[in-house]
Amino acid sequence: MKPSLPQSLESGLRVNRRHFFGRGSTGIGVAALASLMERKGLLSGTGPGMKDARMAALPSLPHHPAKAKRIIYLFQNGAPTHVDLFDHKPGILPLHGKPVPESYFKGKRFSTMTGDPSGKLILSPVEPFKQHGQSGAWVSRFLPHTAKIADELCFVKSMHTDAVNHAPAISFFLSGAQIPGRPTLGAWLTYGLGVESDNLPGFVVMTSVSKGTTCGQIFYDFYWGSGFLPTRYQGVKFRGNGSPVLYLEDPAGMSAALKRGLVDDIGAINRLKHARMGDPEIETRIAQYEMAYRMQTSVPELTDLSEEPEHVLDLYGPQVREQGTFAYNCLMARRLIERGTRYVQVMHAGWDQHNSLTTELYTQCKDTDQPSAGLVMDLKQRGLLEDTLVVWGGEFGRTPFIQGDINNRPKWGRDHHPYAFTVWMAGGGVQPGLSYGASDELAMNAVENPVHVHDLQATLLHQLGIDHTQLTYKFQGRYYRLTDVHGHVVNDLLS
Amino acid sequence: MKLRRIHVCSASYMHLAITCLFVSSLMAQDSTEAPSRIHFSKEILPILSDACFQCHGPDAKARKADLRLDKESSALGSRDTSSPVIIPGKAHLSTLIQRLVTEDADEKMPPPELGRPLNASQIDLLRQWINQGAKWGKHWSLNPVVRPLPPRHDVHPVDAFIEHELKREGLQAQASADRRTLIRRLALDLTGLPPRSSELNAILSNQTESWWDEAIDRYLASPAYGERMAWHWLDAARYADSNGYQGDRERTMWPWRDWVVDAFNRNLPWDTFTLWQLAGDLLPAPTHEQRLATGFCRNYMINGEGGRIAEENRVDYVIDMTETMGTVWLGATLNCARCHDHKYDPFTQKEYYQLFDFFNQTPVTGGGGDPQTAPILAVPSPDQAKAIADAFAESQSARKNLEKMMVEHAPAIHAWEIQRRKALSDPMAQDVKEADKENLNTLREALFKPTEERSKTQTEIILKAYITSDPPLAEARQYSKNNKERLQRLRAVVPKVMVMQDQENRRPTPMLERGLYHRKGTEVTAAIPASMPALQTSDRIPNRLDLARWLISPDHPLTARVTVNRFWQQLFGTGLVKTAEDFGIQGEFPRHLELLDWLSYEFITSGWNVKKLLKTIMTSQAYQRLSTTTEALIEVDPENRLYARATRYRLPSWVIRDQALSAAGLLDSTLGGPPVNGYQPDGVWEDATFGNKKYRRDKGRKLYRRSLYTFWRRIIAPTLFFDTANRQTCNVDHKRTNSPLHALTTLNDTTFVEAARGLATRAMQETSTQEAILHRVYEYILARAPFSQEVEVWLKSLSRAREHFETRPEATEAWLSHGEGLWPSDLDSIELAAWSTVCLGILNMDETLNRE
Repeated sequence: MKPSLPQSLESGLRVNRRHFFGRGSTGIGVAALASLMERKGLLSGTGPGMKDARMAALPSLPHHPAKAKRIIYLFQNGAPTHVDLFDHKPGILPLHGKPVPESYFKGKRFSTMTGDPSGKLILSPVEPFKQHGQSGAWVSRFLPHTAKIADELCFVKSMHTDAVNHAPAISFFLSGAQIPGRPTLGAWLTYGLGVESDNLPGFVVMTSVSKGTTCGQIFYDFYWGSGFLPTRYQGVKFRGNGSPVLYLEDPAGMSAALKRGLVDDIGAINRLKHARMGDPEIETRIAQYEMAYRMQTSVPELTDLSEEPEHVLDLYGPQVREQGTFAYNCLMARRLIERGTRYVQVMHAGWDQHNSLTTELYTQCKDTDQPSAGLVMDLKQRGLLEDTLVVWGGEFGRTPFIQGDINNRPKWGRDHHPYAFTVWMAGGGVQPGLSYGASDELAMNAVENPVHVHDLQATLLHQLGIDHTQLTYKFQGRYYRLTDVHGHVVNDLLS
Repeated sequence: MKLRRIHVCSASYMHLAITCLFVSSLMAQDSTEAPSRIHFSKEILPILSDACFQCHGPDAKARKADLRLDKESSALGSRDTSSPVIIPGKAHLSTLIQRLVTEDADEKMPPPELGRPLNASQIDLLRQWINQGAKWGKHWSLNPVVRPLPPRHDVHPVDAFIEHELKREGLQAQASADRRTLIRRLALDLTGLPPRSSELNAILSNQTESWWDEAIDRYLASPAYGERMAWHWLDAARYADSNGYQGDRERTMWPWRDWVVDAFNRNLPWDTFTLWQLAGDLLPAPTHEQRLATGFCRNYMINGEGGRIAEENRVDYVIDMTETMGTVWLGATLNCARCHDHKYDPFTQKEYYQLFDFFNQTPVTGGGGDPQTAPILAVPSPDQAKAIADAFAESQSARKNLEKMMVEHAPAIHAWEIQRRKALSDPMAQDVKEADKENLNTLREALFKPTEERSKTQTEIILKAYITSDPPLAEARQYSKNNKERLQRLRAVVPKVMVMQDQENRRPTPMLERGLYHRKGTEVTAAIPASMPALQTSDRIPNRLDLARWLISPDHPLTARVTVNRFWQQLFGTGLVKTAEDFGIQGEFPRHLELLDWLSYEFITSGWNVKKLLKTIMTSQAYQRLSTTTEALIEVDPENRLYARATRYRLPSWVIRDQALSAAGLLDSTLGGPPVNGYQPDGVWEDATFGNKKYRRDKGRKLYRRSLYTFWRRIIAPTLFFDTANRQTCNVDHKRTNSPLHALTTLNDTTFVEAARGLATRAMQETSTQEAILHRVYEYILARAPFSQEVEVWLKSLSRAREHFETRPEATEAWLSHGEGLWPSDLDSIELAAWSTVCLGILNMDETLNRE
């Protein structure tokens, strides 16, 4: 006999059946089924009609208790120069202007702009370094605000990656593969952990670039793509001007009340349709129209800063009120996670100092230093830092040797460098005040406790309660995961 | 025990096994049947592939214990070191089973740390199979297509196959849908547009038995058919109007796109369609059209980023062409073999680079980011061609005229030279401007040199000076020059399509370690993977033309199956093989393999006739059923893979737009031409490109062209569309998600607000009562009349909207002003605004958004 199920369970079953069949699950018990429906709010009696438009978490997650609930990734496009910002190497100074010893680069590949590094001259950091805080972390004079919160930060100074060009390297960091087409970190997280907010997306992306930069980098949408995961997991990009979500505003002439009525009418018609057709997808559609309507009010509320006190805004620096700036996006990231967004990817371009170490790098730092530090402090004072993981870093580092003419200081630059660079993290269960790993005396190669991109990815997932080897998706006959077939959790970083 | 029986009977359908937990009636039915013979490719191979191939499969590098379970000889044959792991007929003695069931964690297979254990029923299946004799076989999609006999001959063969399966599952098929539903379904499936009122009425009034046949023919003959069919092909061909990557320069591949539309419309046989696109250039004396078709291969993204290594780019392009061919014709996930032997399917890394070699012979170097990188083909429009021909003729005649005059002047030139030499020797004559002095000196130098010692340049200088001195001659020269320049200008603006061509000297193809361009290994030459039918070219290394001919040979196991499956996917929402991109072992085993094979066989023997294939499918009952779902159908077949009902699914976003424009009477049905920029919120391109790319919206009729012609910028796709392929790499599956962002688009975008007004205007102009207007709108968009409950909802909605606008003249004005179109002044603006609101609601009904 077929067990008889209550009406609401029935409808949950319909929706969910497809869900788990699609995942190639090898078997599912009634208990698992019940848990699925619980997640959908079906057992708690939210009633018919599937009002809940949220995306549920996978039943197998979390794999272990999570230290962090959410991530804000402050991605620095273009590759910030670790040599001038974080990686203090006294050994460089006496070698300034001298050719880089061959032993440091032998057999390594550089971008075509560098080609063969033989004879390239070592370039000292442009600004001096100092140790900061109790932890004594080294931060250069470029980043005074970051320096002030050094004790909150966990610096990984032995990062290394596989790619030497921007787009592939960024794709590698965010999706685990150099070639576009894999799901990105945020997509994996929303796929695995679901979405908590009823009226905002679970994965939001914001981008910015410093004014007047000569950088021509582009933010490709595969940096927040869902790859082969269903597109509902892809990042929603908030725009840098005007309405942050496309088509969010009512067309002129339409009022909120009229729209409310219209959405209700569409819903009424769709319910009639559902009664005739029995297609469960219609219920989802009704819920999504409801969510769309709610986003039309929740997003303007999100971006309304009138309730933010002066002293909070001040933390983020002078550009915080200007939409499209990094400072504004940092503040928005905080407001988003407060409202239930799981993963915010704030990207700032312009770190590609091929010939602008003594010029644009200053602007670059000025625009990002205070907002980054401000965000960490703001999260801390709200008690959110504990379970929010903030990550700051670019796609690779920059060469310790010069690109350009050593006698032409205004045009000093550094080329792409994948063999050593620095990333910092804060909150979310990572050790504050730690500097982990090290590069060699010339900041050229990660030598002590090297951390590969896949290791960092594994660690981020770990903090959210995910075993990176277990969060997989079958596509074209293969189980894919963020870390491909690599990656180890760097336990030493965790508190 | 009972449970095990079920798995024996309906073994491969794991979901059915699960369902059996709930549906006891099935258990009873199944338990009466005797255990059937286990099908290797369908039931055993997927288990071995999933659980074992990673370490015991085709990939030699990853292989453990020198054991292959993808090869009969290794699994069953005599191995040197120990006895074979499978002993036919003796499951209990077979190491394979022992290792699967052992409790010893060190011995257990698959290794527990893989996290992919086999369940009891899978092990049981393997046991049964071994006991039945462990009969080995080939993966189904590599077996030749043979024509299966339909189980019944008194019904449509498609239905015969489908009913057979339905019967086995004890499912009752839905009845036929009503004519109106069918006509809308047909029109949307074949043209991507709703039926026009005239078409609808004509078909409805056809009382003959062949009305459905005629309706299908009508839509197959519509020019909009080619546009509908082209879209999915453009997705597969990764067609776009820009290069992609940084810079994202604009390209002009659209004449190729127009060729695709035309090819579908004139029903170019699929084998020819294939041959021309892959290798038209290599045909003897290729025509313009055959060369144009090869633009297919060149639709890959071009990376113009500074600092990129040219060879790295070039390798990327060849990889893209190779893998696109693999997905589109072989349903093969070749990309897996780029870095290592394929883990599941019989493709070695060497075979990957042998296929790569077919595409590795173009003269493209990978340098630069020219969106018209040679080899290119100029494709002038008829007007352009005529203008160029005229200009060419004129330019020729002007040049000839000039030459003739020069011949006539020859004696005079000699006299002039003498006279000039004399003049230039006179110091008084040198009273010229400083700037001309240099010219004069050069001329003097030339003149004073003996004729035979003058350089070519010097002769030219003298001639030039002479011509200048003679006004009629100077005029003739100027005229010739102007004509030459005009011809150049005309030629410069002709769109140039990147096409295929092989260079004279073979480019060597080394295998690339991990797919990296600079990690070169052993050299290979073009060849076909060993697991596939052989390609005979005697001693010659085969080329792309051989490859294309091999693909379309009637006994190729994949081309027809993969193609038929995509057309089925277009009509039923999902392919007979759900993994349209993967016909390999990890792809789905088709529930209706015999149906797929029957259709494939028919397709080949019909001369690869696409329209005929579609018509065959569409004349089946399976296509014509109601899409209504019942509890029982959802329970047993939630994804409708058994076709007891028609599939109901959300229309592609581009069809949703075209449907709205067409119903509103706004659609401009011009075929082909350069891409257009429709409505898009301000600043989207600028935002994504730091202002480098400025969006210039088109005006007038261009705003209402079919979605197919929308300019596709790769780095920031048109914002109006959702769930589309990214047009960056080959894509053959159809995405369908259900997100609030889609609702925001269809509720708030100018296109839809304007279309809603168009719908309202059209209906109000044609009729006057509220009910009649609503009926019209429903007919335009849904091809049916509203139900009374719907009338009730919408009329209430209408009065609410009317109340809103009555007291708000500005809102009325604003609401009616969206888009470029104007509203007729003879309509009451409040009434029109209110009806536009209702129409926007109707455009957002689930039924409108769905094909059902």
